Amino acid sequence: MIRLDGISKIFPGVKSLDKVSFESVSGEVHALLGENGAGKSTLIKTISGAYIPDEGTIYFDGQKRKWSSPKEARDAGIHIIYQELVLFHELSVAENIFIGEAPLTRFGTIDYKAMYERADETLDRLGHHIDVQALLKSLSVADQQMVEIAKALVGQTKLLVLDEPTAVISGREAELLFERVKLLRDEGVCIIYISHRLEEIFSIADRVTVLKDGQLIGTRNIEELDRDQLVGMMVGRELKDIFPPKRIPSLEASRPVLTVRNLCAPPKVKDVSFDLYAGEILGIAGLVGAGRSEVAHAVFGSMPRSSGTVTLGSEDFNTPSPRESINRGLGFLTEDRKGEGLMMLLDTSANISAPALQEFTTATGLDRAHEIQVAKDEIDRFRIAVPGPESDVSKLSGGNQQKVLFGRWTRACRRVLILDEPTRGIDVGAKVEIYEIIRQLANDGLGILLISSELAEIVGLCTRVLVMRDGLITGEVEGSQIIEEAIMKYAIAKRESLALDIARH
Amino acid sequence: MTYSKSRYLVRRLQLDPSLIIVILLLSIVVISGFVLSDRFGTMRNFMNVLEQSSGLGFASIGQAMVVIVGGIDLSIGAVVTASTIFMAAVVDLHPGLMIPMIFGTLLFGAMIGFCNGYIAMKTGVHPLIVTLGTASILNGSVLIYTLQPTGGVPYWFEEFAYGRIWNVPISGLVMLSCFALIWLFLRYFQTGRAFYAVGGSPEAARLSGIQSNRVILLAYSASGFFAALAGVYFVSRTGVGDPRIGDPITLASITPVILGGLILGGGKGNILGVLLGVILISLLSNLLNYMNISTFVQWVIQGVIIIIAVSVYVHKGKKL
Amino acid sequence: MSEVAANLSEGTSKTVKQLGRFIVPLSLMLLVGTATLLQPSFLSVNNVQDILTQAAPLALVVLGQAFVILVRGLDLSVASLMASAAVLATAFNATSDAMIPVIFLITIAASAGVGLINGLLVTKRNVSPFLATLAMMIVLQGIRFYYTQGAPSGSLPEGFRILGAGRIAGIPVNMLVFFFFFCILGWLLHKSSFGRKIYITGGNPKSANLVGIQADRVTIVCYVICSVMAGIAGLFLVGFVGTVDNWVGRGYELDAIVACVLGGIMLTGGKGTLWGAATGALILTLIFNIVIILGLPVQAQLIIKGIIIIFVAGLFSRSI
Repeated sequence: MIRLDGISKIFPGVKSLDKVSFESVSGEVHALLGENGAGKSTLIKTISGAYIPDEGTIYFDGQKRKWSSPKEARDAGIHIIYQELVLFHELSVAENIFIGEAPLTRFGTIDYKAMYERADETLDRLGHHIDVQALLKSLSVADQQMVEIAKALVGQTKLLVLDEPTAVISGREAELLFERVKLLRDEGVCIIYISHRLEEIFSIADRVTVLKDGQLIGTRNIEELDRDQLVGMMVGRELKDIFPPKRIPSLEASRPVLTVRNLCAPPKVKDVSFDLYAGEILGIAGLVGAGRSEVAHAVFGSMPRSSGTVTLGSEDFNTPSPRESINRGLGFLTEDRKGEGLMMLLDTSANISAPALQEFTTATGLDRAHEIQVAKDEIDRFRIAVPGPESDVSKLSGGNQQKVLFGRWTRACRRVLILDEPTRGIDVGAKVEIYEIIRQLANDGLGILLISSELAEIVGLCTRVLVMRDGLITGEVEGSQIIEEAIMKYAIAKRESLALDIARH
Repeated sequence: MTYSKSRYLVRRLQLDPSLIIVILLLSIVVISGFVLSDRFGTMRNFMNVLEQSSGLGFASIGQAMVVIVGGIDLSIGAVVTASTIFMAAVVDLHPGLMIPMIFGTLLFGAMIGFCNGYIAMKTGVHPLIVTLGTASILNGSVLIYTLQPTGGVPYWFEEFAYGRIWNVPISGLVMLSCFALIWLFLRYFQTGRAFYAVGGSPEAARLSGIQSNRVILLAYSASGFFAALAGVYFVSRTGVGDPRIGDPITLASITPVILGGLILGGGKGNILGVLLGVILISLLSNLLNYMNISTFVQWVIQGVIIIIAVSVYVHKGKKL
Repeated sequence: MSEVAANLSEGTSKTVKQLGRFIVPLSLMLLVGTATLLQPSFLSVNNVQDILTQAAPLALVVLGQAFVILVRGLDLSVASLMASAAVLATAFNATSDAMIPVIFLITIAASAGVGLINGLLVTKRNVSPFLATLAMMIVLQGIRFYYTQGAPSGSLPEGFRILGAGRIAGIPVNMLVFFFFFCILGWLLHKSSFGRKIYITGGNPKSANLVGIQADRVTIVCYVICSVMAGIAGLFLVGFVGTVDNWVGRGYELDAIVACVLGGIMLTGGKGTLWGAATGALILTLIFNIVIILGLPVQAQLIIKGIIIIFVAGLFSRSI
């Protein structure tokens, strides 16, 4: 159905795809696997016509093709469902399904009646009922995703690409999605499925192609592989080399540095309680949308709490604000490095000093020399690859940017460091360094709260793990019990069937 | 399941709280008008208001189209001014060109709008700045040409502004038809729906295969076109080209758009809400005139209304 | 937008960025050179004094506008506030120069109030800066006209002339005042930790909050600074012009924004220097001066202003 031959795509400073060849046939689910930054998105955008490759050829349906816009690829029968849904909130469900290709009356106007009826039929085919006249913004994310899939059914879709479709939906909704996808596959559609959740891959894919650092690692039938082999292909080295050895602090000997009781922060956090001890790496696992980041925000004071108590050591902490948290020795490295973390227009030193400006304030203004000295220390300490404290952070690689943030927070932070997806979008080498940093910080006596969607990370680093679902803590695992299956069981708690089968696989 | 158009309309009205706000304000104005003044509630007065509101109406249609695609046009006033001068000056020299010049002026406006859209698109400069720039250029050119009202049109041309058909002002009818046409366009044509798509999410529109650039150019051209139409209306009303006539129109054209429930940033809103906004503003100023409240106080009221309208609904994203 | 695409635009903009760094001083030199060639007396002491006297009120407004733009805002109410400050100053009918400090204090307090309202609307009600300050502009205008009933009548102490147009040791008084504020605000923006908070807030308001900076408070302070500078500029401008009218400072809101853009302050916030903004004001005044030297009609200033705003904004926008 589709064949890519020696595709390269170069961006200034990065070779995002390096002579990648790839092939997928109709009636199969072909998984595309790789870490963040491996080149999956670029490959997809090349297939969809959003990027024009610098090198190589695309064959689709037996013909050599060169797309200059997404529209051409779409007209040829390629439909992409991006992680960020391509939908319009102020238009109705039916209009979204038929965007750009609405049924027309003989006067050339949009035939709403026909459109609603056909939209109904299409959703029927998916076995999914949504009010097609409702505005899209009134729908849940899972329903919105079904609208995306319905869009694919309307056209003569020959190739359907799903880009991490389960990242935003719950386990039950994922099951439903898999059923629909298999339905389409059996109708002869070629499906490319992108994910980094191995469990899903084994459940749904027929073949799998692995990318790493913009290069093709290989394509295999799914039966030929087991989990570890697949991880090995993705990561390029063995798991035991990635994570530093665990060191379990004696919890009895120390008092908790952070105690959270019955914390509520509507709508995502409903009654959360836990203790965090000094020197401990406490993981919070769960599916996206389970309320993990919101717990962090509520503790840190960047999101209002409705009830519950937070205690730092022996001090009550019930008038939260980020400023107050920082003063009390908390740090919070957020999941969105660019949106909520770095100040891209400022230099490295200003990014490091930001939470502790008062430390550098003197009678005559900001003590720049002191600020630069401190930045130098942090650069040395974390081996940040940056020309100097006065270089722009925007030019750094993801890993180094993340280290700048570690420099920022470890300076300001004496007690508890909250890490939300600390390795998102950075390469394996940098990950290993970050893991070592986290381990070292815990050894130095900080209490670390680690939120991560990468189960391997949670398993590899944490000495205790809380699992969340729907705003509640559904389970806690410790020591040798920390295995992916156990965590997944709590993450999808009580929901048997498919999702659990995945975990057992 | 069967679907009727009327059912959809009713739902749409129910879902859109911003329309309810205009309607509410409108009813307050009308009711207090009936109570406070015996001259307000007459058919004759309503027809006069309709006639006087046409200029603002034309300008607001154009502004609304640009706002829906996520832009803003601050050159509308300057285009109005330049159109009146262009038309009055040329017709003054060649009275025979009266009819062609109506179309010539509209084309002139559309071309300026096209330039706005093109520059904003090609340079990536915020439309606020681009249209301010073209406004400055147009105003400068006009003021070099003349500092005083100038030119003239044949006497009969005032029929466009003042004439009546069955007691209904022609200009008002034209304005209402324009609103109706644009409503039909935005509601029943693919390109019209694309306006909302482009305004709602330019990236998603691009990925959906919508030719965003064309839509944006069309919106700005329409804005220039309707500004020129407002210019033609003012020439008909005053008989001359006036180098200052458009100054208040730019900002005035934004008020009904905001009142009508469109949001700066785009992707949302019903053009009929804008019509209600135009009528609301016109009736309000009509009523305040009857109550002998000075223009100056009316300015204050207008400013306060903008503030109330935009702060009632807290918008998700802050945009210029 | 993906990371990669962002990198892409970053890469291509590198050369533009380098160009942008030098374009301000370069164009300043180019302008002075051209002007001297055209009119050898351009660099005479007298003419330089004149230009500086002319530039000072605008430069004062620009200093304030820069703060607002740095925190992703925009203040369209400055010109209206300048005129209102002028009218307020005449309200006391003071004849003694001893009243001047009192007038200044009252003006500053009133302007700060206006800035506070602007800032609160933008931060607490999430109104777009464009609309909030636009509405403020109309409201101030209405209040001013209502108070003066269209024609200001009060008088100012003689001392205002000296402030607006006088000289000390050959240096224009208002330039000295500008220099004073330039130093204070320059220290605040570039040397103090509050200045850093402004850049952090403008660059990334979300992160600002998460590192314990109250972005809303910083933003409000910037609006207050802007309004206070506009009020003060209004007083100096009225001293320069000599008579009060309702339109003192008309057009300064756009000139101030243009000057900031010329001076390399990014409209998307977080980038630019006070030095650049001041240079922008000087460049703009020079351009106006050259128009006069060339014997062009004053209105040509508008055209040139329009062209440079689009051109320069285009140059800088790619480097966002």
